[in-house]
Amino acid sequence: MGTLDLLQGTLDLLILKTLSWGPMHGYSVARLIRERSDGAFLIEEGALYPALHRLERQGWIESDWGLSENNRKAKFYQLTARGRAQLRAEVATWQRYTKAVAGVLEPA
Amino acid sequence: MSARPNETMRRIPGIRRVFRHERGDVDVELQFHIDARTDDLVRLGLGRDEARRAALAEFGDVKRYETETMRIDRGYARITRIKELLWSVWFDFAYALRGLRRSPGFAAAAVFTLALGIGANTAVWTILDALMRQPLPIDRPDELHAVRRADEPNEDYLNSFQRFQRLQRVMPDPQQLTAMSALARMYATAGDQPEPALTQLVTGNWFRTLRVGASAGRVIDLDDDRVLDAGAVAVLSDAFWSRRFGRDPRVVGTTIRLNGIPLRVIGVAQRGFQGLTVGSSVDLWVPLSMQHVLRYIGNYSANDADIEKAWAPQEGIRWLILLARVPPASAMRIAGALDRQVRGDLEQQVAKADSVQRAYRLREHVTLRAVPRGFSPLREQFKDPLRVLMASVGLVLLIACGNLAGLLLARSSARSHEVAVRISLGARRGRLVRQVLTESLTIALLGGALGIVVARWGSAMLLRVASSGSRPVPLDVSNDVRVIGFAMLVSVGTGLLVGAFPAIRVSRFGLYDAFRGAGRVMGGRSSHRLPLGRVLVMSQIALSLVLVVTAGVFVRTLRNLLVIDPGYEREHVVVARLDVRAAGYDSAQLPALYDRLLGAAAAIPGVRSTSLSLNALAGGGTRTSGFVVPGRTLPPGESSSAQENYVTPDYFNTVGMTLAQGRGFTRSDKDGAPKVAIVSESMARHFFGTDRVVGSRFGYETPPDLEIVGVVRDARVNALREAAPRLVYRPLAQGPREYMTSLEVRVAGPREPVTASLRNAIRQVDPMLPLRDIVPLSDLLERGLTSERLVARLAGSFGVLALLLAAIGLYGVMGYSVSRRTNEMGVRLALGASPGGVRLLVLRESLMTSAAGVALGLALLLPVQGVTGRLVYGVSPRDPATVVLGTTLLLAVTAVAAFVPAWRASRIDPVDAIRSA
Repeated sequence: MGTLDLLQGTLDLLILKTLSWGPMHGYSVARLIRERSDGAFLIEEGALYPALHRLERQGWIESDWGLSENNRKAKFYQLTARGRAQLRAEVATWQRYTKAVAGVLEPA
Repeated sequence: MSARPNETMRRIPGIRRVFRHERGDVDVELQFHIDARTDDLVRLGLGRDEARRAALAEFGDVKRYETETMRIDRGYARITRIKELLWSVWFDFAYALRGLRRSPGFAAAAVFTLALGIGANTAVWTILDALMRQPLPIDRPDELHAVRRADEPNEDYLNSFQRFQRLQRVMPDPQQLTAMSALARMYATAGDQPEPALTQLVTGNWFRTLRVGASAGRVIDLDDDRVLDAGAVAVLSDAFWSRRFGRDPRVVGTTIRLNGIPLRVIGVAQRGFQGLTVGSSVDLWVPLSMQHVLRYIGNYSANDADIEKAWAPQEGIRWLILLARVPPASAMRIAGALDRQVRGDLEQQVAKADSVQRAYRLREHVTLRAVPRGFSPLREQFKDPLRVLMASVGLVLLIACGNLAGLLLARSSARSHEVAVRISLGARRGRLVRQVLTESLTIALLGGALGIVVARWGSAMLLRVASSGSRPVPLDVSNDVRVIGFAMLVSVGTGLLVGAFPAIRVSRFGLYDAFRGAGRVMGGRSSHRLPLGRVLVMSQIALSLVLVVTAGVFVRTLRNLLVIDPGYEREHVVVARLDVRAAGYDSAQLPALYDRLLGAAAAIPGVRSTSLSLNALAGGGTRTSGFVVPGRTLPPGESSSAQENYVTPDYFNTVGMTLAQGRGFTRSDKDGAPKVAIVSESMARHFFGTDRVVGSRFGYETPPDLEIVGVVRDARVNALREAAPRLVYRPLAQGPREYMTSLEVRVAGPREPVTASLRNAIRQVDPMLPLRDIVPLSDLLERGLTSERLVARLAGSFGVLALLLAAIGLYGVMGYSVSRRTNEMGVRLALGASPGGVRLLVLRESLMTSAAGVALGLALLLPVQGVTGRLVYGVSPRDPATVVLGTTLLLAVTAVAAFVPAWRASRIDPVDAIRSA
């Protein structure tokens, strides 16, 4: 199976979901997405950062500087309350979407 | 795995943190990612370099993502900065409003003053703009051009119908050229009484070329104007339709009688269109073909023609204004083509004339002149007066601003303690300055909003004052966007100007002075407060002087004009202006009508004598004709025309013109008897070189058939301001087909009863005879002075207002200064100064300020010559007597204004003063 292209909206959803497991820095987010999706998506990891900053401006996540596990300066992100609500909404939408598509694709 | 951050994330409720954008932040973040990945790969067994390369490959184009991320950050930072700015501005605004609410008296006075000032300025500007700048409410007004004489210095737009038809063929599209007559007053009857209706005759393509449509029914088109004397239709203007018919849509299709002729109303022109003459509102448009049937007579120039026959077929009658709709770029080219056609025609016409005629006629050239703003005699009349008024009212606003600035200065120094505290707590000066400006802007904007209301009322009132006659000048002054825009502009300017003073004070604020001097100010070393206030008052006084002197000059101008002796009796003559032509009388019926009118008028008790004339005095029409004197040729360039009038024998007696030589007209000067004339002194001197001309002969052409039987003293028959023209009088009996327009009666005693009786008498002679009005001659003369009256009245009011404001300003500043120097005054009194001495001290200081202001004002008066010079009469704009009077007045008023503070200073209780420090 080849790798899939990732839509921007979906990337946002993945980031929000990943951050719902706790505050982490950008590298962790990238790693977790890669692991959980079994590497199915081909994304340049750099694309994460514009997405992260954008999500912050929109108020769904917020950031702060901190120290990583090996004491290096890193920027940590976490979900805001609004972000949590937004995540719930987007997950619901996604589920409706996939259910509808699956329904059509189902052998008659 | 990731680690929790060491500290809880800071959360600032509501406002996001502004990222002070540093390139370094994003760089660090991205580099961390790459380093972490590199480390992980090394842990999985790759070599360092290989791991790094793999990590970079996985990451992608670092530069690109870095730039993109920074762009997002920057945008956000900008938005946040803007939001913060807006929020602080809003805060300042709310703070200013709160402050105003705490001192409602001050707020009300300030806002009210500015409302008056801004409102007055906006009102005058609205009218000036409507008159001067507004383009016609038609499509692409810049394409509209009028055909005018290029060789004449005066504006001459009149052409014959024949020429119009010939020029149409020269145009790229014949329908691009259209023609219209001058406006004429006709009488419309849609019921019983004939009422005046301003009428214009237009060609069939006029509405189409102008692209003016109908709001009801249809407008005139080509078919209506095809056949001479046919086309009995009319288009109403929207204003006329409102006024006369209450916008009843059923009027379309009905018949209206114009000068007695029935016309079918075919439609109403689109709303807002009043014709092409700014300041006049056309009531009816009728096809050109109806000219003769309607007995139309408007502005015309006749040469070798009979005006009693239809005008359109006659080459010699020029009565039409030709309009071309051409893009500005092609105007020159088309003008050239038109000129060539005209000159070609002229060559043909004068082929058989003598050389003098040829030289005279072949001078003519035509050109196209752009008229995007239409025609407007009103514009010429009021252009300069309005500009002067604009300047005056602007000065008044400046003076009012001075007062407000002074008030704000006083207020700000009362709050200097608060300001000091804020600065020491870290407030930036820029922020404080902005706050001060916001406060003054708030007051100004509030004043401006109120001022718009004032302006609405003010401009309507100005129009009424400027109108001479019953109907107000139909200028469209309701263009809201421009009015509001101007008012806002002025408000902002005012706010900034007024706020500049306290703002300057705040920006130069010395903390030490503020804390130290809370309440106690040692005299002598005056901080930069006082001079600022004094400078303010000085300028106010200077501007007031300019306004007062200018007002004085205009008032004197009006007085000079009102007392001019016009050369006839103005108080005891009543004039009834009729339109016999419009009534449809046959020329054979005229003598009987005139006799009946004169008889009816003479029968009224109180009437000493009566007369009729072709053209009324002081503003009736004028007829100018060319005359020749045998044996005398005038030098080239000298006019050979004179103003001519037909009158009954009693005319000179009735209106009080003096016969200097010879005799007046008698009954023996009748039709068939030798033709006679009476001329004015200036006419005699111009044509004959002497005023001893009784018995001499002259005429319209050779051989001369008029004998001069009398000479009258020169008289200003047209307007008070216009010099006496050259006059030629003919007896009515020798011009029996003339349609008189004026009936004069000389009264002995009160005028009102005669006026009423005269109206009844005329009604009895013929109830349908159109009667324009019955007015005393003095009224007619004064109507010609409308603009002078307007200027005198308004400039006078502004002068008084300016004086008042300057006095208040001085009072305020001196009062404030005294209250700040209570301490010093107390010490002086305690040390033995007399109350009178203290009073004198204060008075002397205020007098010095006024004197300085007056000196400045005198200097400002020097360049005031240009426009005002054109408006004055009999007095110079820098008339010394008026200047002296103005200066004295100003000094006196300011002395009075300074008296109260001086008095208060002298009443200070020294013990209290020193103790309260």
